[in-house]
Amino acid sequence: MTAATETDRALVDRVAKGDRAAVRLLFMRHHARVYRFVARQTGSEMMADDIANEVFLELWKQAPGFEGRSEVSTWLLGIARFKALSSLRKKKEEWIDDDDAAEIADGADTPEVITMKEDKAAALRRMINALPEEHRVVIDLAYYHGQSVTEIGEVLDIPVATVKTRMFYARKKLGEALKAAGYDRGWP
Amino acid sequence: MSAAEKMSRRDEMETLLPFYLNGSLEGAELEAVEEWLASDPAALAALGEAEAEFSGTAAANEAIRPPADALSRFTKALDAEAGPARAPAGQSWLAKALSRLTAMPAGVAWAAAAALLALVLVQSFERPGGKGSDFEVAGAEDDLAKLPFALVKFKPDAKMSDIAAFLGQNGLKIASGPTADGVFHLTIPAKSAADYDKTVGLIAAQPFADTVIQGRKPVDGG
Repeated sequence: MTAATETDRALVDRVAKGDRAAVRLLFMRHHARVYRFVARQTGSEMMADDIANEVFLELWKQAPGFEGRSEVSTWLLGIARFKALSSLRKKKEEWIDDDDAAEIADGADTPEVITMKEDKAAALRRMINALPEEHRVVIDLAYYHGQSVTEIGEVLDIPVATVKTRMFYARKKLGEALKAAGYDRGWP
Repeated sequence: MSAAEKMSRRDEMETLLPFYLNGSLEGAELEAVEEWLASDPAALAALGEAEAEFSGTAAANEAIRPPADALSRFTKALDAEAGPARAPAGQSWLAKALSRLTAMPAGVAWAAAAALLALVLVQSFERPGGKGSDFEVAGAEDDLAKLPFALVKFKPDAKMSDIAAFLGQNGLKIASGPTADGVFHLTIPAKSAADYDKTVGLIAAQPFADTVIQGRKPVDGG
């Protein structure tokens, strides 16, 4: 089997046997997404850098115990989520990158004025970024990480019904924000 | 009754649309969404809105750029965790892989080559500068932060054997790549700006070279 076709699970099996090339290949496949996931969770690229590294070291250590009940990507995101929350709990003050903070909390213009200056796609992106964390994370996991309802439940450690409820309210809030900005989309 | 149970049919379908779009929906829920999309004129507009959210979320995530040196720092952390890497056994794996590639149709071979070279990059950290075939991969002993380099994109129908021979003959090394756009970072063993220009010109003149962008160049007299 070539590297191109070797599955994540096969690579984890190799990692479990001490194969460092395999863990590096998994790092190359998944690091960017894990990094972005943690950066979005914590608001800090510095924390994302440290935590993403820890996630793959954890993969190295835990590979012998991986039972393959979930996809490797879901497993890694679950580890990342746990580590991100632990780090945030340790730091009472969240580290928010100045640029991110400006993007989220820029109060110089009203939302209407900001929106008039940008097109709908840019407005939507800003609104996604401004969603409460519990809503934004389900949007990220579904749209960017391609996770199913069940997988999101595993990553966030919440019931499937809660995943759906959060997705419902996340999309509802986006619809309301778009509507308030003059982009009526008919729902909610 | 939970909030989820109180949803109207429209609300349920809107909630499932992100999962329909990411391909993870299945069974009765998939059938319900497909039926809705086929029967309700408002559904296609809703799908368009969900697609816009999909694009917006991807753009918001991809605006975050992981550090370029993440893999090398992870490698150091892994070595610290697991101890020094073992010396590799037989060295013929790359030669075998390359010979298999040359036997493939060009399109297939090139796609496989991209994956192989990604693996080569990974392996290079355990086997610094190791000679696997006609060319070398830049390894830990190469100070990539100082070496002259160029960014090169090869033509999709380029033959791997031609590229490997050319790299080997000219002492060129693959430092990293390919990127998502198929660009490789090649180190250039030039001592002077003139040498560098000559080598870059030589690469650009090759029939398999698609694009060559100059990177770090030696400074004469420095």
